[in-house]
Amino acid sequence: MASSVEHLAAASALAPSARLVGTVVRRKEDPRLLTGRGRYVDDVRVPGTLSAHFVRSEVARGRIVGLDTTAAKAAPGVVAVLTAADVNGRLRGRMAATPLLDMVNVPERPLADGDVRFVGDPIAVVVAESRALAEDAAELIEIDIDPSPAVVDFERAAASTDILVHEGERDSNIFSSLAVPPDDELASILSSSAHVLAETYRQQRYHAVPMEPRGVLAWFDPPSGEFRVWISTQSPHDVRSVTSRITGVPETHVRVTMGDVGGGFGQKAYLLRDEQVIILVAHLLGRPVKWIEDRRENLLAASSARIERCTVTLAADDDGRLLGASIDHLDDAGAYPLSASPGTMAALYFTGPYRIPKYAFSTASAWTNTVPRAPYRGPWQIETFAREQAMDALARRIGVDPLELRRRNVIDRGELPYVMPTGMSLVHVSPSETLEQAAELIGYDAFRAEQAAALAEGRLLGIGISLYIEPQANFGVYSAEPAHIRVQTNGCVDVYLGSGSHGQGLETTTAQLVADHLGVAIDDVAVHQGDTAQTPYAFGTGGSRSGPILGAAIRHAALELHEKAVAIAAGMLEAAPADIEIIDSVASVRGTPSRSVTLTQIAHTAYFAPEQLPPGAEPGLEVISRVPVTDPLYSNACHICTVEVDRHTGEVRILRYVVSEDCGVMINPAIVEGQIDGGVVQGIGGALLEEFVYDEAGNPLTTTFLDYLLPTAADVPMIEHGHIETPASSPGHYKGVGEGGAIGAPPAVANAVNDALAQIGARVDRFPMSPPRVLEAIDRARPTQ
Amino acid sequence: MHELEMTVNGESVRASVEPRTTLADFLRDDCGLTGTHLACEHGVCGACTILVDGAAVRSCLMLAVQARGADVTTIEGLSPADGSLNVVQEAFAACHGLQCGFCTPGFVVSVTAFLDQNPSPTDDEIVEGLSGNLCRCTGYQGIVKAVRQAAQANAGNN
Amino acid sequence: MKSAPFEYHAPSSLSDVVSLLAELGDEAKPLAGGQSLIPLLAMRLTRFEHLIDVTGVAELQGIERVNGHVRVGAAVRQSTAEHDATVAAAVPLLARALPHIGHFQIRNRGTVGGSTAHADPSSELPAVALALDAELEVAGPSGARVVGAEHFFQGTWMTALEPDEVLVAIRYPIWSRAGYGFRELARRHGDFAIAGVACAVSLGNNGNVERAAISMFGMGSTPLRGRAAEEALVGEHPGKVDVDSIAEAAVAEMEPTDDIHAPAWYRKRAGARLVTLALTEALEEAGRVDA
Repeated sequence: MASSVEHLAAASALAPSARLVGTVVRRKEDPRLLTGRGRYVDDVRVPGTLSAHFVRSEVARGRIVGLDTTAAKAAPGVVAVLTAADVNGRLRGRMAATPLLDMVNVPERPLADGDVRFVGDPIAVVVAESRALAEDAAELIEIDIDPSPAVVDFERAAASTDILVHEGERDSNIFSSLAVPPDDELASILSSSAHVLAETYRQQRYHAVPMEPRGVLAWFDPPSGEFRVWISTQSPHDVRSVTSRITGVPETHVRVTMGDVGGGFGQKAYLLRDEQVIILVAHLLGRPVKWIEDRRENLLAASSARIERCTVTLAADDDGRLLGASIDHLDDAGAYPLSASPGTMAALYFTGPYRIPKYAFSTASAWTNTVPRAPYRGPWQIETFAREQAMDALARRIGVDPLELRRRNVIDRGELPYVMPTGMSLVHVSPSETLEQAAELIGYDAFRAEQAAALAEGRLLGIGISLYIEPQANFGVYSAEPAHIRVQTNGCVDVYLGSGSHGQGLETTTAQLVADHLGVAIDDVAVHQGDTAQTPYAFGTGGSRSGPILGAAIRHAALELHEKAVAIAAGMLEAAPADIEIIDSVASVRGTPSRSVTLTQIAHTAYFAPEQLPPGAEPGLEVISRVPVTDPLYSNACHICTVEVDRHTGEVRILRYVVSEDCGVMINPAIVEGQIDGGVVQGIGGALLEEFVYDEAGNPLTTTFLDYLLPTAADVPMIEHGHIETPASSPGHYKGVGEGGAIGAPPAVANAVNDALAQIGARVDRFPMSPPRVLEAIDRARPTQ
Repeated sequence: MHELEMTVNGESVRASVEPRTTLADFLRDDCGLTGTHLACEHGVCGACTILVDGAAVRSCLMLAVQARGADVTTIEGLSPADGSLNVVQEAFAACHGLQCGFCTPGFVVSVTAFLDQNPSPTDDEIVEGLSGNLCRCTGYQGIVKAVRQAAQANAGNN
Repeated sequence: MKSAPFEYHAPSSLSDVVSLLAELGDEAKPLAGGQSLIPLLAMRLTRFEHLIDVTGVAELQGIERVNGHVRVGAAVRQSTAEHDATVAAAVPLLARALPHIGHFQIRNRGTVGGSTAHADPSSELPAVALALDAELEVAGPSGARVVGAEHFFQGTWMTALEPDEVLVAIRYPIWSRAGYGFRELARRHGDFAIAGVACAVSLGNNGNVERAAISMFGMGSTPLRGRAAEEALVGEHPGKVDVDSIAEAAVAEMEPTDDIHAPAWYRKRAGARLVTLALTEALEEAGRVDA
């Protein structure tokens, strides 16, 4: 592509002014999803499909001393019962996702082999005519595990040298670490400033919990010679790469399809171990095998997240102006993490939206005998969780309102680009503006008055702020997305994306972009994703990249096609290209609507009469673009939340919740708000309800939805929104919005609760902030008679 | 195996089922009606909600044999045959009440039943009525708005 | 999560139910609403060779007011009872408790008898039966008998029902000159309660409390009455009760345990608060009714 972005930007000035981008357009996905005509992996029927069921360890750590599958193999309807002896030797390559090959350094074994390392560790797979029969047979498998003490607490694991999760790999459970220690100046600042706050923040283990659990169907299709995989995933192309790698089937003969996916939130970004086992099993058996994870498995064996500790030191002068900071971070990676530690990102961005001149950090990752960690919406969010609570704590220490403390330290637009102490350059963000807008929306000062009046009546109200900047991952393979647009001979438009949309409405936002920049009716645009045979290579959907990076590619491709179409139309109409506009699939001479040709006629010329094309023009009307977006990309937002704490029961009720966010140019405001709201409610869940609990022996205790508590409609308020649009420098100026809600919400809620409790000298530092924990904090501050 | 007969989306269905087969699995596997989804199989999430004799129930908590002689309606049965959207579905689309769609059929069926029983609900009644269905994508915002809108649309039509 | 195989029976008369139970013994389990049993079967936490669906049995249906009590058939759906005029008028405590059970979709299938006989320590209906001193009609191969609520609930998921017996109906006594209060605290609406109370007071001719019931759930392995607290209420004028002390007294008699959702001390604290609220409401209502 010779055309530069600037050239196309100029071209877009000639395109019809944006009609759909920036507006709420009804989603193309909705009609099929609302009528039960979506196609999720368990809806796919391939003749002869067998059902798989895993038999998993019920012990967190131990040697497998007995494993007898004889009776199970003879059970009705059973086709195979497979263990490590059958499956593991067939692994032909690395199990890690392609971008992570250098980062994942854990033993890669499909099934447990000789020993188990967490409850849920898969030991055997039963393949039978139905899931019910497979479960019947599973009960006949005799497993004898000689248990040994497990290490479940990650801080203990980090310190332990006698209980090693992966014996023989290393002599400690810490497998990755990074540190930039304080220099002398910072060391001095951190010890002798007017105010030095040192606090440790611990986040509980909680999970992504998509409504659709994982699922995969794999089969060999003889007519095409392809090994096919239909899977609930966010990354169909990487599933193809990994499938090829682990089975040895050449990638050209692997076809992966992603249909509708019922949520992912990062849990389905990489092909995890269980899915890989099923793929290997289908390949081994030569028959279609389907595995649909049940909810119990999804909770205890899919993946874990958020369980981290961050010790924060903040140093400030007399006026509360921050002089320096340091963090010491540790995360729990579980037993077989096939993902990267969030610690590096958390450490790089900890200083966030504040002016902090000097900073040091250390971060480490420890194995434990628990379910492995995978990404979950905003995986590095501990930095905001810890920093924003530390800001409130510092404010209380100094005797300044938390809003005022933030005002004194927040980076102002005039200071951009602001180079963070880690060298990251903050551009096109608006933390100060979002802080002010959120404060105004919530009525901050009026609330303080209301809070004081309530206290006089014995009621505890609180307000909490969370301010953050959110980087989008746009390095390496994540820095460019493809968009392949083809105008068909009948004038309709097909768009092929390498994405793995799982609720974000990409079919709709894509169509909006194409409609606007090509000049076609949105109903004439069909968006295709998910089939590796049909779509260009991209890693998948995640990291809040669909807006900025995919959006840039779609826009670029549409503009390039627009330019081609205009050139052809100009030839057909004997006019200058600068005078041609395309509106609703009709190209006409501006000002003379009677001189027009339809897009269908243009396409016909392009495909069937290329001799009539302008000199040098390529036949056809089809473009594929990849636009590298490597400039830094940041969104930012401010969340403010008000709560009431019941001092008799410790129950927390959220009164109001405001988000002022800046994600640049919005493609579809409803989708933007939907992404924020979904993340906010997940964050509320993390603050108040959700916890995946292990006992000391590593047995999971919260394996159903009765014990693992997700927020319901009755637990959340109607969220109020403010928008600020600071354009990114990337083409289209869109920024990402998918993860922010889940980043900003937990500390906003935590700060609100602790703001309420601070009035009586109480504080909660354990999460979730359940009623017993809140009441216990109240009691500690004011013992009952 | 048990022989049973029931009406599903207005059509008579005859089948032979194992007693342990849930109504959810029967509808999905035997009737090919995959719009009803399984997200927990223990009766908490509501994704499997259908109507049995007009009442909203969790199909994962019913055995197919218990539906002998019953009048069963799934999301497919609530959807107009011409591919258009009914009042509740239209409200969900207009209010961005769905994202990944996995919980959506359960919500549409539950909301349909809820509004039948309570045509003019207060906001408190709405969130309580919705509290038996879990959604992980929307944060419920668009769903609450959809229920308000559907209630108003129904009132306008009457 | 698919359950292990079982046989299914759908008898249409109580005598058929009893015969099946006699024949199959503890390999059989009555199936009513299934809202508690089916998840346990699906998770393979329990199993039975035979399920006996009792929802087609006439003797287990019906809501009728007779002789100072309301007889509710064990297989009456919770939603039916929730919207029933007789229940609303004559057993207000039951009417107030029912909407707290799960969600409306659960109540469309769950039954009054099923939930009562399941005897989960955190559930509402056993506490209501205990509060009102209900009588439970039981049938089995050795005949029909009536068990008082006081003796019916024996432990977590354990009742006076023998393995070959089935709950047929519950007779809720009708209290006169009475006021009621029902409160529960759960992590989310519809969850199993962390603590709850079903409270009833009735006044005597002199306008003082003549009879009181403070029946708590989530506070032990069965619902429990705070008898000492109740005795302290008898003879008191409803407007002059030190509700907080009564609440403390009631909770002092409870024996909650720790679990993943709440420790025992919290159940007591929350329970006391709930008693305060429920008892206040009951006393005010009784006073109004009496005025």
